Amino acid sequence: MAGSALKRLLAEYKQLTLNSPEGIVAGPKSEENFFEWEALITGPEDCAFEGGVFVTELIFPTDYPLSPPKMKFVSEVFHPNVYPDGRVCISILHTPGDDPLGYETAAERWSPVQSIEKILLSVVSMLAEPNDESGANIDACKMWRDDRSQFNAVAQKLVRKSLGL
Amino acid sequence: MAGTDQQLKYPLPVLCVERFFSCSLLSFPTLWWVGVVMCDIEDVYEESSEGEEDVEEDELRFSSDEETKSTSAGAVCRQPPSYHSLSADTISKKMFDIVDEVNVVFQLPTPYVRLLLIACKWDKEKLLERYYAGDQEVLFREAHVVPQRRQQSQTDSTTLQVRTQSTAACGAAALPGQEFICDICMLAYIFDAMCGLECGHYFCQECWDSYLKVMVMCEGRSQSIQCPASHCSIVVDEATVLRLLRKPEVRKKYQLLITSSFVQDHPHLRWCPAPGCSHAVLCTNADLQPVVCECGHSFCFKCCEEPHEPVLCNYLTRWKKKCDDDSETSNWIHVNTKECPKCRATIEKNGGCNHMVCSTCRCEYCWVCLGPWAPHGASWYNCNRYNEKESKDARNLQAQSRAALDRYLFYCNRYMNHMKSLQMEHKLYEMAHSKMQELQAMNVSWIEAQFVKKAVDVLCQCRQVLMYSYCFAFYLKKNNHTFIFEDNQGDLEMATECLSEYLERDITEDTLSNMKTMVQDKTKYCEMRCRAVLEHVYEGYDNDFWEFTE
Repeated sequence: MAGSALKRLLAEYKQLTLNSPEGIVAGPKSEENFFEWEALITGPEDCAFEGGVFVTELIFPTDYPLSPPKMKFVSEVFHPNVYPDGRVCISILHTPGDDPLGYETAAERWSPVQSIEKILLSVVSMLAEPNDESGANIDACKMWRDDRSQFNAVAQKLVRKSLGL
Repeated sequence: MAGTDQQLKYPLPVLCVERFFSCSLLSFPTLWWVGVVMCDIEDVYEESSEGEEDVEEDELRFSSDEETKSTSAGAVCRQPPSYHSLSADTISKKMFDIVDEVNVVFQLPTPYVRLLLIACKWDKEKLLERYYAGDQEVLFREAHVVPQRRQQSQTDSTTLQVRTQSTAACGAAALPGQEFICDICMLAYIFDAMCGLECGHYFCQECWDSYLKVMVMCEGRSQSIQCPASHCSIVVDEATVLRLLRKPEVRKKYQLLITSSFVQDHPHLRWCPAPGCSHAVLCTNADLQPVVCECGHSFCFKCCEEPHEPVLCNYLTRWKKKCDDDSETSNWIHVNTKECPKCRATIEKNGGCNHMVCSTCRCEYCWVCLGPWAPHGASWYNCNRYNEKESKDARNLQAQSRAALDRYLFYCNRYMNHMKSLQMEHKLYEMAHSKMQELQAMNVSWIEAQFVKKAVDVLCQCRQVLMYSYCFAFYLKKNNHTFIFEDNQGDLEMATECLSEYLERDITEDTLSNMKTMVQDKTKYCEMRCRAVLEHVYEGYDNDFWEFTE
């Protein structure tokens, strides 16, 4: 099992280094362990998180790609779909059959043909367009909905923090 | 009263056949007895294992069409539910039978037909109707047999093998012999080594195997395994799963899951709820009357709870919820509290004088007469204003809300009483067993002693009916028929308690023949009255006698 997961991760790593999408850098933390990756995500233009570089961590299960990896922000992020502890809540990372909030159809969720690249791209679009209907961070959700300017201010502060300013 | 002439419909039984029978037998010489025992031993055995006999009888009834109405005693003859239990093997056979029956008409690959049947909840008629009357494309799409945007309509009768025709998802480049990358493991394979469904998503066999294994073993899915491609809702059919799975234990588990989902989807099948029993019961005309599984467990087919005649399933759930929620609490409230005359808040007086101030609405009133406090002036400890109009009104209001609570407690207490007595069931059977041994020690034959067991059987049955008749009565609005029902119920209750008391008595050699007659009479009587109660209730359901509160 782990053998096929490793092969697949190697293939994906190769593809990502050869042809990586804009604003995304990803790779294993160390050459010894291919099941723990680190990815840098740039905040997309024209949104509260513009310009920030966020460090994230991806942990792959041994039966990858049959089960989805777990993704977590290492940098501090204030976002409706990111739990306060950094875990990301997007449908693509949920296995079909387990839907903690009951908002997603099976088609939106993880399937073995999804890839790391697709996950990271979904996270980028999630940063640009939060989904306040199934919030993970309720405070962020509320602020995003009711007081957008304050939300933007908080986000910008965190962007600067992520850049070490 | 309207009740009296109606009641004649269910005349009280005057005579018992068994009475004559038992008396005459006792007067026969003992030698003759031995003869009877020897030749009738088989009959007796059959009688003792009643559960089995019931099932056989019902199976016969099932096969010999529904016209065979039992014409036993009673004016209203309600048709008993026809049912039979199926073992694990017969369930899957049943499933294939249904598929085959439909396939005689359709001539489609079996896996397709099964998926179509699942989409129609195993209703053959509905499927046939939709297949010929409605839009077949829609039907096939709903059953997840064909992809959402399928170009050419094709119903080829080949089995679901790897298709060489390319579809949108696969790309026109995929031809036999060419290399193709599996989207799951990202390795290149010769196209011939890859498999896919109607939707045209192809993966290597290894990835299929591990994907299906995870689905079957970890997630326990069978009918709902979809193509691994994202946003593809095509269901992987049984034949393909079995072809692609390599390990026999996974296949076995898959087949088990298929059977169990068949039972779950089929509206006329239920798993027997008894622990450890692997039978399912097939029943086409489910009713309130319980069904008996081959393992001997009887249950209500509709809700899988224990038999609960005469109350309807939905009222039973409501009743149980109500009891769980507040039976003890309301008891306590009833004993220890009064309500504020203004805001109806429930108040407990835990000390002090009669001058009460409600903590919610600040209303000041007297604990004794429940009237306003102001006219009481300075008489803190005694109240002489009990008969004033205001205090009377306040008490009337209170009385109304208490009456509702009283009513609930009335029914609840009786329900609980019977339930507690029923829980002693195993003790009763133990007692019956020892009593039967005692009797045998007094030179009473084994067969003759069976009347004790029979009495206990009937006693338990009556208690169960009585118990649920109280939740039935709780939701009932009063009318003439409820009087008849209550009379019937009261009569059954008295008889049941009497029978219970007879069974408690010690039997000595002098009282034996007398006792036996008494017990047998009462048993028969209880049985009849129990049936009368139920038949009256059923008649009411059929003719809409009953009005329910809420």
